[in-house]
Amino acid sequence: MAEGSWEVTQSRGQAVALRVGDPGLLAAFVAVGALLLGFVLYPTLRVISYPALVDYLAVPHNARWIAAMRNSLMMMLLSTGSATVVGFLYAYATTREDLPGRRVFQTLSLLPLFSPAFMVAFAYILMFGRQGLITKTLLGLDVNIFGWHGLWLVQTVAFFPYAALIIGQVLEAINPTLEHAARGLGADEWTLFRTVTVPLARPGLAAAMLLVAISVLADFGNAVVIAGNLPLLATEAWYRIEGLADLTGAAVVVSLLLLPTAGLFILERVWVSRRLYTAITGRGSRLVRPATPWYFRWPLVAFCTVVAVLILLVYAAVLAGAFARTWGYNWTLTLDHWRLALVQAGGQLVNSVKVGVASALLTSIVALVAAFLTSRRRYRVERALDVLAVLPAAMPGVFIGIGFLLAFNQPPLVLGGTAWILILALTFWHIPFGYQAATAGLKQIDRSIEEAAADLGASGLRVLTDVYLPLLRGAFAASFVTAFIRAVTNLSIVVFLVTPRNLVATYSILSMISGGFWGAAAALTTALLGVTFLAVASARLAISRGLRGLPVG
Amino acid sequence: MRWISAVIACTVLVTLVVGGGAGAQGGKVVVYSALDTPVTNAVLQAFEQTSGLRTEALTLAAAGTLATRIRVEKARPQADIFLGGSIDFHAPLANDGLLDAYISPRLAEAKLAREFYNAGGYWYGWYIGALAIMYNRDRFEREMAPRGIKPPATWDDLLNPAFKGQVVLPNPVTTGGGFIFVAAQIFRFGNEDRAFEWLKQLAANATLIPASPAAITLVSRGEALLGVNWGHDIRAMAVNQGFPVELVFPPDTATEIGGVSIIKGGPNPEGARRFVDFMLGRLPQDINAKFGLRYPTRTDAPAPLGMPALTTLKFVNYNRQWAIDNMQRLRERWQKEVGK
Repeated sequence: MAEGSWEVTQSRGQAVALRVGDPGLLAAFVAVGALLLGFVLYPTLRVISYPALVDYLAVPHNARWIAAMRNSLMMMLLSTGSATVVGFLYAYATTREDLPGRRVFQTLSLLPLFSPAFMVAFAYILMFGRQGLITKTLLGLDVNIFGWHGLWLVQTVAFFPYAALIIGQVLEAINPTLEHAARGLGADEWTLFRTVTVPLARPGLAAAMLLVAISVLADFGNAVVIAGNLPLLATEAWYRIEGLADLTGAAVVVSLLLLPTAGLFILERVWVSRRLYTAITGRGSRLVRPATPWYFRWPLVAFCTVVAVLILLVYAAVLAGAFARTWGYNWTLTLDHWRLALVQAGGQLVNSVKVGVASALLTSIVALVAAFLTSRRRYRVERALDVLAVLPAAMPGVFIGIGFLLAFNQPPLVLGGTAWILILALTFWHIPFGYQAATAGLKQIDRSIEEAAADLGASGLRVLTDVYLPLLRGAFAASFVTAFIRAVTNLSIVVFLVTPRNLVATYSILSMISGGFWGAAAALTTALLGVTFLAVASARLAISRGLRGLPVG
Repeated sequence: MRWISAVIACTVLVTLVVGGGAGAQGGKVVVYSALDTPVTNAVLQAFEQTSGLRTEALTLAAAGTLATRIRVEKARPQADIFLGGSIDFHAPLANDGLLDAYISPRLAEAKLAREFYNAGGYWYGWYIGALAIMYNRDRFEREMAPRGIKPPATWDDLLNPAFKGQVVLPNPVTTGGGFIFVAAQIFRFGNEDRAFEWLKQLAANATLIPASPAAITLVSRGEALLGVNWGHDIRAMAVNQGFPVELVFPPDTATEIGGVSIIKGGPNPEGARRFVDFMLGRLPQDINAKFGLRYPTRTDAPAPLGMPALTTLKFVNYNRQWAIDNMQRLRERWQKEVGK
């Protein structure tokens, strides 16, 4: 192999060429490609092609669907605007090192990311509805929270953390010397904010807005609980099936929903992603940020406090709801709801965890192998694989749900009636998250390790298993945790694919909410949250243990 | 490498745990039930005792979802029986060739009225739901009684301006019950245009809800003052959960017929037929009246406890075929003229 090793050290292109001819790698390539084609592209095509052309042409005559499109776009603008503004201010505040309580604020803002899809809406009905603890019991007001305004509030609270996280990363990366320089040139705090901070945060702002916009458009859980009669694309598909058994109509509606989300997603890919990279990779100097003047600091603290209270209210409402006998009427403490929830739905909690673990494991494995295979992106096939691996991020959950319903209840592959249809739908919907984590992880690994292994005669697959996999533990764990949380808290896919034999907790909670069993719904939500936190905590523990054994590279 | 082995081992383990117990075969009758769990369990238990057959229930109180599932499972049906849910869900499945025809020998004995079964034997009605007006007693006594306003007794009472914004209606575009309500008004007025004039006035007073059970929850919880929904579901909320919700069956009300049907190509066709025979007997209807508070279709079975006898209710002359034939058109008209 003297000749081979010479080639490797000579040119990386040659090394890749060698690997493509590698039978093991080729098999992996074919396998991942087939999985993505079968579970991403095939269901997509099934949905779009299910209605006849006349069904699509009839859309302009359906007043409710036109209204749904208009409302979905309106909610997208409203909630994206507010969530981004709140997220930006929150991130701006919590990245100031001298802000009192910033760690607490930072941690609190992560809480909504753990909550089931409908939880904020449910909690705010308990707090701010006509029977709301705050609106009625404390303030004696008569408030109708159902409708666009309630949804706006709920989506702002539910989705601002995404914005805060992304913008926070960008703000952290801004070199404090720039602020010192601006100060030195005599800029006051407001000028500094306007001319330095905001312009530098712009790529983060754009990325945050796009991510929030996609989430708002696809938001099923909050909308189904609090939107009232407001037609929205994400919920209309469900009403078509639930109320009218109209699968064709549902397929039309989710196809309509795919247009704006895919559009936004493409925008994000071509326009923002690239810029954001350069912003994050730069290493900030360890210079301390200049002190925040009091007239900036205290309003920021006040703002963060208000937002934090709004988040805590969500958790307080659900927790209290689980113990109050009849919310709004009888505040006696009781454990009856827990009994009902755990007796009726204890098994479903276990199912949720099983489905979550199975799909998160599959997501992480497939995503990692896919990331390894596409990490060079030299050939067209690799780029095609890359596109397939990120495509699901552009699809709303309801779209995936209907896609799997249509695709896997008939030959060649019948999964209907088993838990697998739900597990695989969640698996492939979350591939982009695992794929991104793995890709980022791969970028940090020096190529020379791989070349050394190849030099020593390791095959392509051997390089993956012996070199990359051990080094990518962190990325694997990160994608597992994300995929697990999203799987156990999901509702938009679950409502279409849950099988009566394999009910999961989120579905039962939705039926409890609509059936009037609010106490049991609150108890089961609390239990689900507990399970989620427990799982995340143990995964974090496993990671920190694992990292200790990691050779410093 | 150890962690990779661990991951693989975990995956295999989870696969085994989750994948187990799919597909039910061998003598069992598999039932897709759109009723609530207590009623489903009691009915199936009674069937098992009388027939000696085993059953497997897939209970999801969502008839539309189950009908959709039957539709998409056409290539390989997973169940034998579609139990419960309005025949408005069963009939289209029959039209599309997804159900099996079966003329039960017990039909004569059951003495069902003509409207309660399909002449071709595709579905049988075994319970009846009637539309009712519901109101929150606590709120009514507190907010309306002092002003001398009486609880509503007729459909027209819903137009009272004092109720503005406090009435919840299931949306006729997204729910079956909401549509039956609209059709009932057309039959009441005997004139579609006049019915729509009335509906427009009502809609101005009302909040619409796109999913039916949620409307009952809202009134029970006092989020809304009054509304329209299925009598048995309202009564169940009061009886089973103790909410202060009252119901009134107004004159000129309308019904839904709850069905049972055999899914074509299911794993156990013989068991399915025996199940339908069983459903035409009194036992399941009595069980449903007791636990689900739904009216039986057999005339020899008594009304649910605490509910007026079916014969005392005043029904509008409801033409079910006309309603189904005109459903699409009426829904479009509603959207155009009422705009909700």
